[in-house]
Amino acid sequence: MEWYALDSWIVLTGALCAIACALPGTFLVLRNMSMMGDAISHAVLPGLAIAFLLSGSRSSIWMFVGAAVVGLITALATQWISHWGKVDRNASMGIVFTTLFALGLLIIVQAADHVDLDPNCVLYGALELTPLDVVAEWTWFGLLIELPRAALVLAVVASINLLIICVFYKEMKVAAFDPDLSEAQGFRAGWMHYLLMAQVAVTTVAAFEAVGSIIVVAMLIVPPATALLLSKRLGMVLFLSATLGAAAALMGHLAAIHFPPLLGFNGTSTAGMMALATGFLFVLAWLKHLMFN
Amino acid sequence: MKIGFLNYATSKTHSLLLVTIALLSPAWLTASAESRIVATTSMLADAARQLSEDFAHVNGLMAEGVDPHLYRPTRNDLVLLQRADIIFYNGMHLEGRMGDTLNRLSRRSKSVHAIAEAVFAASDREPLLEDENELDPHIWMEVNLWREAVVRMAEILADEFPQHAEVVRNNHARYDAELLLLETYAREVLTTIPQATRVLVTAHDAFGYLGEAYAIEVRGIQGISTESEAGLRDIVQLIDFIVERDIPAIFVETSVADKNVRALIEGARARGHQLIIGGELFSDAMGPRGHWTGTYIGMIDHNVSTIASALGGTVPEGGFRQWRKNR
Repeated sequence: MEWYALDSWIVLTGALCAIACALPGTFLVLRNMSMMGDAISHAVLPGLAIAFLLSGSRSSIWMFVGAAVVGLITALATQWISHWGKVDRNASMGIVFTTLFALGLLIIVQAADHVDLDPNCVLYGALELTPLDVVAEWTWFGLLIELPRAALVLAVVASINLLIICVFYKEMKVAAFDPDLSEAQGFRAGWMHYLLMAQVAVTTVAAFEAVGSIIVVAMLIVPPATALLLSKRLGMVLFLSATLGAAAALMGHLAAIHFPPLLGFNGTSTAGMMALATGFLFVLAWLKHLMFN
Repeated sequence: MKIGFLNYATSKTHSLLLVTIALLSPAWLTASAESRIVATTSMLADAARQLSEDFAHVNGLMAEGVDPHLYRPTRNDLVLLQRADIIFYNGMHLEGRMGDTLNRLSRRSKSVHAIAEAVFAASDREPLLEDENELDPHIWMEVNLWREAVVRMAEILADEFPQHAEVVRNNHARYDAELLLLETYAREVLTTIPQATRVLVTAHDAFGYLGEAYAIEVRGIQGISTESEAGLRDIVQLIDFIVERDIPAIFVETSVADKNVRALIEGARARGHQLIIGGELFSDAMGPRGHWTGTYIGMIDHNVSTIASALGGTVPEGGFRQWRKNR
């Protein structure tokens, strides 16, 4: 096969997305809030509609701002409702994202019915297209390197997530496993929840914009769930989920190139195959879990 | 070949990957070194094929029945885009996020052209609006407007391949003559529809330019967004309109779901009005390649003939091809 620079960038961007998502994703899975990414992907609709109405444009920057604000509202409102309303977190997530999605439809039908505000069309990026959108280029040992915007964005998001987890590792750990103890130790478990929710909202919307939704939803849940089958130590789980996610990115891209021609088709969605690869790794981990436990 | 788009595997990681997974590469990737043109929609690809016949290899990214707003490119599409000498896309938001990316790419070294945008930039015609600030990108629906697009494409090709400029000019002259005939045919056939029923009801608003050019009133069932479903009230209002005007047929599209169209038919039947599906129209994509409707001319012939015969106009036996032979 021929391997191009663009293939390296697609895999690297997918891996950065996996790392950026797997870190907060691990805490989501630990707190039984795995579907948060999916909830945000639906809830962003009113954000897109309002951003369009305010700015009169569908350019990606406005769509991003609108989606990010509503993503944050979704994450925070889920937390509030489950806390003050004494509702299960999953139920609270369901209340928030369906309400916001309906609100978005209402706004679109009332005010912007003749504009295509489908998130698929205006917000979600496509992983396969990221190498075409270059922010910087330089030559390194005679090799021209063109840095895609998505890779830069996701590298920044992944670094921030890593930094937050390094700084608040102990607090997040205690807050995730034993909120009562964390209250007793003097720091507010609630603040750790909000910090995590903000992290999830910003990470998912940035990643949606850069590489599309399916891969983000998968990377938030499946690698952490796989890692939790393999280890019981939080540090190890975080490391494993980031690594497994990155490995799935490589496997997915190779599969997207090589599977379809075997069946007589001409290439398929890389992002979809990466999501499938996370599932494949999960099945392997689960089999190992069955056999050795 | 533009520098920087093709960085072959040179670093260690790359070679490692090459060794680890040595599998067959698809044959089309290693095709000959002739000029390469990539077009997003099948209409653009067809025009590019007509113009560059004999010297270039044209790849159309979107196959038949694809909704361009929602098209997701694959890695192989990306390789095609990066290896292309020229990229044609429609622009005006037809390709959704891919259009944004191509637009950004066009500001860098590649020869990337938004044809619909070029058409309106070069002529004094104003694009139709779908809303106060959204332009209607479906310019191929009016043959005369599409002829402008083909002129722009011919200019670009002649500029980009000066060595083939003569061929392009000849191809263009031949093809434009055909398109002119098609325009005449479309106008003749569509004018045979009785004034009262000259209304085109379809699933979404892709037929604005056709309506304007050939004096047909166009009604779409759903808004432009595929996310916003048609409300019950909209459907009821449309049924009232159809019954009142005694419109005999409505149309479905190959790239849009026809659920709403069926709702209209049931609704009209409940009011005692016989409404039929007049046929399937090609809106955002052409028919299968190798088929008559898989060419631009065939697609328009099919649409025009289908609309006219369902709405009470007269269509020559055998459509455009027979009509053309008889001239």
